[in-house]
Amino acid sequence: MRRNDHSINKTARYGSKIVCLVFIAILWIAFSHEHAFAHKVTIFAWVDGDTIHTRSKFNGGKRVKGSLVVVFDPEGNSLLEGKTDENGMFSFKIPQKTELKVVLKSSMGHMAEWKIPAEEITGSGSESNTPETVEKAPDKISIGTGSESVKTDEDVLEPAAIGLGREEVEEIIDASLDKKLAPIYDMMANTYDRGPGLTEIMGGIGYIIGLVGLALYFSNRRRKE
Amino acid sequence: MHISEGVLSPAVLLGGAAIAAAGVAAGLKDLDQKEIPSMGILSAAFFVASLIHVPVGPVSAHLTLNGLLGLIIGWKAFPVILVGTALQALLFQFGGITTLGVNTLNMALPAVICYYLFGWGLKSGSGRSVFMFAAFASGCCGVLISGIMVGFSLYLTGEAFLPAAELVVAAHLPVMFIEGGLTAACTLFLRKVRPELLEEVCAPK
Repeated sequence: MRRNDHSINKTARYGSKIVCLVFIAILWIAFSHEHAFAHKVTIFAWVDGDTIHTRSKFNGGKRVKGSLVVVFDPEGNSLLEGKTDENGMFSFKIPQKTELKVVLKSSMGHMAEWKIPAEEITGSGSESNTPETVEKAPDKISIGTGSESVKTDEDVLEPAAIGLGREEVEEIIDASLDKKLAPIYDMMANTYDRGPGLTEIMGGIGYIIGLVGLALYFSNRRRKE
Repeated sequence: MHISEGVLSPAVLLGGAAIAAAGVAAGLKDLDQKEIPSMGILSAAFFVASLIHVPVGPVSAHLTLNGLLGLIIGWKAFPVILVGTALQALLFQFGGITTLGVNTLNMALPAVICYYLFGWGLKSGSGRSVFMFAAFASGCCGVLISGIMVGFSLYLTGEAFLPAAELVVAAHLPVMFIEGGLTAACTLFLRKVRPELLEEVCAPK
């Protein structure tokens, strides 16, 4: 009995030392976020005019260089493929105006994908607009050139009055929107998936402690019986 | 080291899961109550180690600690690593749910191999240098064998084995040495603080 107590005491002392070490490790990880990442790849894609840019990275922020990127249509046929450059970027002309899926195939069994919805692509195209967008377009123009106080449909359908075709205006707006939004897309590409934070780490350790408790509870009960 | 979802063929996934399940069963057989807390601590260490990113080499690599786990708990590395990889998949999105079996196998089997290869070196009778060598080699081999197994999993799915395995191993060379050093440091610490922990488990039955 005494021997047992002794060993339990020792276990407790040893356990608290290890727990201290683990906590120091966690804190170190939490505060040195730059280095605190592991193995996972992500790809982020955005539309700029008639081009789609993709950026691929490991979740430490390190760029994925020279990896294969394949573009699929909704049916799963591969449309084109290419390799990422030094900055993990790969850009391509929009091959067709449907939903596209960009898949990053990195080495060592890592894979990531990103879907580009059809609206994002058709919205930025200069041709083959769907009827819906054609109908909506005049509103945009009347807002954009508000000084003319255009109100009736006839006036709207006569864009020549302001010297520009509807499609041209759309193109200009899209181009300038893409330009204005470029930094935001860039920011999104950078912040997208920052890797696990303190919440996830603590949550995981909590789970493990809970599992240990559960295992001890059941083994204790078995022993009593 | 974590293989993502959608990379491996279903046959490889199922095979890996079956072997991993057998390993977990072997690990949970004759489980002593006294071992549960240390298993939990090692599971937490394994879980967190994957966040320690080693910024050397062509790709981003991280610590696995499976050599250390193998030396201390032997076959019980299977359930411990299963818990760790499951939580990593759920919370960090490393690997995935369907690849859980394969990932567990790829990291736990090297741990068991290290246990049989180097467990003898950690007995109390062994000298300090032998002890340190065995621990260091165990840390290195844990990563090395894991790398080869990841390459082999990819090969079974249709990738050429040599380039895949070479790449995985090359990427983990710096990690191997760090792991070796870390394993040696940890086991030396344990030998000083609580030698009976190494004694009890480390004699392969």
